[in-house]
Amino acid sequence: MHNFPNARSVAAEHLVLEQLGKSFGAVDVIPSLSLAVRKGEMVAFLGPSGCGKTTTLRMIAGLISPTRGRITVGGRDITHLPSHERDMGLVFQSYALFPHMTVLRNVAFGLEMRNVPKPEVRARALRALEVVQLSHLADRKPRDLSGGQQQRVALARALVIEPSILLLDEPLSNLDAKLRDEMRVQIRALQQASGITAVFVTHDQVEALSMCDRIVVMKEGHIEQFGTPTEIYEHPASPFVSSFVGRTNRLRGTSDSRGVITVAGQQIRAATAEAQGPVEIMMRPHRMRLAPAATDRNVPDATPVQGQNSLRGVLERLTFIGDLVQYHIRVGDAEVMVEEATRRDQGAPCAGTPVDLTWQASDTLVFPAAAS
Amino acid sequence: MDTEKTSWAMRILVFILFLYLLAPVLLVFPMSFSGDQVLRFPPTSWSTRWYSALLENRGMMRAFWTSLGLATIVTALSLVIAIPAAWTMTRLRFPGRDFLFNLFTAPLLLPTIVLGLAILIVFASMGLLATTQGLVIAHLVVTLPYALRVLAVSLGTQNLECEEAARTLGARPLVVFFRVTLPMMMPGIVAATALCFLVSFDEVVITLFLTGPRISTLPVELYNYVYNRADPLVAAASVLLILLTLAVIMIVERTMGLGRTFVR
Ligand SMILES: Nc1ncnc2c1ncn2[C@@H]1O[C@H](COP(=O)(O)OP(=O)(O)OP(=O)(O)O)[C@@H](O)[C@H]1O
Ligand SMILES: [Mg+2]
Repeated sequence: MHNFPNARSVAAEHLVLEQLGKSFGAVDVIPSLSLAVRKGEMVAFLGPSGCGKTTTLRMIAGLISPTRGRITVGGRDITHLPSHERDMGLVFQSYALFPHMTVLRNVAFGLEMRNVPKPEVRARALRALEVVQLSHLADRKPRDLSGGQQQRVALARALVIEPSILLLDEPLSNLDAKLRDEMRVQIRALQQASGITAVFVTHDQVEALSMCDRIVVMKEGHIEQFGTPTEIYEHPASPFVSSFVGRTNRLRGTSDSRGVITVAGQQIRAATAEAQGPVEIMMRPHRMRLAPAATDRNVPDATPVQGQNSLRGVLERLTFIGDLVQYHIRVGDAEVMVEEATRRDQGAPCAGTPVDLTWQASDTLVFPAAAS
Repeated sequence: MDTEKTSWAMRILVFILFLYLLAPVLLVFPMSFSGDQVLRFPPTSWSTRWYSALLENRGMMRAFWTSLGLATIVTALSLVIAIPAAWTMTRLRFPGRDFLFNLFTAPLLLPTIVLGLAILIVFASMGLLATTQGLVIAHLVVTLPYALRVLAVSLGTQNLECEEAARTLGARPLVVFFRVTLPMMMPGIVAATALCFLVSFDEVVITLFLTGPRISTLPVELYNYVYNRADPLVAAASVLLILLTLAVIMIVERTMGLGRTFVR
């Protein structure tokens, strides 16, 4: 599944951002961002719209100059190097192919700029087109290609110059779902085959989780968490990360000194209880189970299974979405969602009946409640 | 039924409108083949004598070549000045940019007669009246705003990311301009060329102030001709001018059509 960094592959830091900042006029879009990308790894910039992903990427590419901070590649300071001397391949969301050139000339452009001899330019451009399986369209104009084909031309154009870093700005967002899946696999395969260091901007968590070695989760211009897909998913550093990556339930409660959390008048435990006072607890919907309420009492049995949490609520409605059934349960004044795989023999509880929710205490995340 | 009716009414209305607008242009064609001594409609006899008379009229022919040369020079200069100017105004941010752009294109809004008088006063003191340089400069005042507008629109609608892509691929700024920006603004350049050429070739009001016995343009010469006489020679000249204009427009249509194939 995911590529865990093993002893051999923990390579040297390649692209390093040091307290990088950008202001547009009075607006501080990126206050201060520090980050080290290792050689040969693919890192995702993941975050909601407007959080500064593109701005950061454009600073790395040299298309806009940072207000503060430093960018180094392989130890060399490139902060003030003009973009045509940076040796980076950039794939734009709009692809930005040259409309007046054929596909082949588009791909050849970067090689021509590097004064590669003419016959070699043609050979290498054709080879790059072969890699993306487009050599039969070499003489077409970009406007005569489909979105997916244009996307692959853009990729070939960026890769043919063998840049030190490949930058991709939401390269898949203009493709339909099926093509997106194919391109995900293809881009990742190309990146791993060439061993190129890559930065992949996206606001799609599935892309980030499935394609990248590590993920930078960004929010409002700063880094919320930097880690492997598993770390980000299993050990989110903040409620924001938890709710942005994957689906999650958020409940408010109060934690006491023994680590017992009171939620809607009922008591649960978490694996770790760092916080005291008002807390926010989070659970993944598919890690929870649903059962008809065992007794008529308002509160579940006082002697729960060790390490297991349980909450009583009322089933409000359920949504059938093919592979999954989503149950929406009211617990106090909060709503909790539980996801279960569809089973045929399932006697589903009816809406309006009391139910018990159960899940492992170790699957419970606790964060100090936000001030707001 | 109802839509059918309105659409017929609409068609007739449009037909009448076009007839009204084009009547003078259409009337010129039969009149140019008149065999009469004076302009009248319908002509009482037919001939091509006025076409011969036009081609043998040395003053008229000299004015035609002057106009052609003038329009060519003015068009070339307009492009050479307006392309970098439009680039500066659309790609760079500097204080006073909008003011400068408005200043450049202001002559579009001024009555030409005012412009002509102003130019007359300035040129008189500089000895530029009835000179080729004077005419070139005066026509530039009229054509530059058109060229600048058309080219600025062309540059403004370009995908900036194409230029950025070229930069990241290793193209220096000048290379980006010649290999990406300029080819991508080709339709705008063709349109600006046609516009400048026609505007210069057609310009009367300002030119009237600046021409004399030594140098004159075709429109001015025709104006003077009609002032003194009323024979169908001007009709023949008009037909030729209409055909020239049509030719230019068709060239533009062809290249713009091709341009659309090349770009986007
Ligand atoms: N040239 C600019 N001038 C002023 N503000 C800008 C400029 N470019 C970006 N911004 C602002 O900076 C913030 C971050 O923009 P950016 O394009 O980096 O977001 P993003 O994370 O790429 O979002 P998206 O997912 O929508 O592409 C936004 O609030 C945006 O309005
Ligand atoms: Mg963006």
